[in-house]
Amino acid sequence: MTREEIKTAILEFFRKEFEIENPGMEDNLREIHGFDSIDAIELLLEIEKLLGSELTQEEKKRAMDIQNLNQVCDYVESLAKVR
Amino acid sequence: MERRVVITACSAITPIGRTKAEILDSLMNGISGVNVLREDDVLSPYIHSKVFGTVDYPITYDFKRQYRKTMGPVAYYACQVAKEVLDSAGLNDAFVTGGRLGVAFGSTHGSPTVQRGIYKTFFSGSQAGYSSIGAVDYLKSMVHTTAVNITKMFGITGRVISSSTACTTSSQSIGYGYEMVKYGMQDAMICGGADEYDTTTVAVFDNLLACSTAFNDTPQLTPRPFDVKRDGLVVGEGAGAVLLEEYEQARKRGASILAEVIGFSCNNNGGDLILPNLGGITETIRLGLKDAKIPTDDMDYISAHATGTKMGDVIEAQAIYNAYGGRPAVTGFKSYMGHTMGSCGAIETIIMTYLLAEGFVVPTLNLEEVDERCAMINHVRVRRECPLRIAAIQNFAFGGVNTSIIIKKWEGR
Repeated sequence: MTREEIKTAILEFFRKEFEIENPGMEDNLREIHGFDSIDAIELLLEIEKLLGSELTQEEKKRAMDIQNLNQVCDYVESLAKVR
Repeated sequence: MERRVVITACSAITPIGRTKAEILDSLMNGISGVNVLREDDVLSPYIHSKVFGTVDYPITYDFKRQYRKTMGPVAYYACQVAKEVLDSAGLNDAFVTGGRLGVAFGSTHGSPTVQRGIYKTFFSGSQAGYSSIGAVDYLKSMVHTTAVNITKMFGITGRVISSSTACTTSSQSIGYGYEMVKYGMQDAMICGGADEYDTTTVAVFDNLLACSTAFNDTPQLTPRPFDVKRDGLVVGEGAGAVLLEEYEQARKRGASILAEVIGFSCNNNGGDLILPNLGGITETIRLGLKDAKIPTDDMDYISAHATGTKMGDVIEAQAIYNAYGGRPAVTGFKSYMGHTMGSCGAIETIIMTYLLAEGFVVPTLNLEEVDERCAMINHVRVRRECPLRIAAIQNFAFGGVNTSIIIKKWEGR
């Protein structure tokens, strides 16, 4: 999965499920888009579907510091590399 | 210190309409909201009762995603009536979020629609696993989902009470909300209940032979409270909310006062969890009158729980007669819309508020021939103008829980 494919899938998920249209890749998701803990868990479930495998508890904990979409893409990219 | 408690706003979603005008039109003209049970892919083929009190009109929700994401159907109902109550009341934001406004709101069992989705995931035989259950499914389906979605949507920081006592859910909400304000714990409470369309509840009552089955082809002829041909209850859906406010606060801010809550009682039969209990119900009525500090002769109009079951209606009629004699007018409003479960107490309180203000009593629908065992009380058989001052709303639930709410027409002071 290329970086561009990950970005496209994540942006589509944000548009469809979170009703966030055209977010900036460096936007602080919490401060600008009202992203909260529930959204974060929903996003992790979507990432599991995207990768086709469940995330470990350690992998999920790593996601807790994510603040923007570039970091989401970095996170997914790093997970894809070890699968 | 005991403070006066008034109703300053109300809103309902019922099988017989949304607005005061629509609901009164149905009551005045004998229009039923009972229709054919909608088919589903789980239970409906096995249920003998094919009738339901349905909300068939569209409701336009205008909730942002940040609120929608934790709401199942029951919370949509709850938040909509709560929103309309707050819009109507005109409370300022500082008060709404300041901690002196609380919420007492419940449902029979959260959102069965969402719960059904969870069970399907488990029992579908797929490899989806537990993680396929959405992160918000619990928030959508938990028993206090209505109350806390209301607090979230409006930033309410006061007390939260979330009764979940089946048919007394929202009468407890109003009663406990009343006590919160009366005794100074809160200055206002949004109180009510909601239940979504659900065949699980129908199946439960159907299995207990408590559902109406003889009028499947003529849904609007059932339920038939107090009638010789009654054959059981009809489950319904809906929601109701009232804003209870401390009188002096309401007066000072120029709120429109709809009625005063003057009494509440709740007890338990202390035994059987299903069968109605004459002693328990009679005692609830008496406790309500004691709390209201009124003599029995002051009671003008009673909203009977009157589900249309064989035993329940007889026991309730006896209890009413024991407590009040044969003077107060009695109507069973479930005859118009079925049993809206967790919302019935709130909806019936709202209906009584409307009728007190308008000075009308309306008949129990489908009451064609009164069962002689229920004949000792003053059934309303025809719509008529009637000077009304005080009314009671009675509800009784599985589990032996009984409630009585007593309200008074607002006469300007």
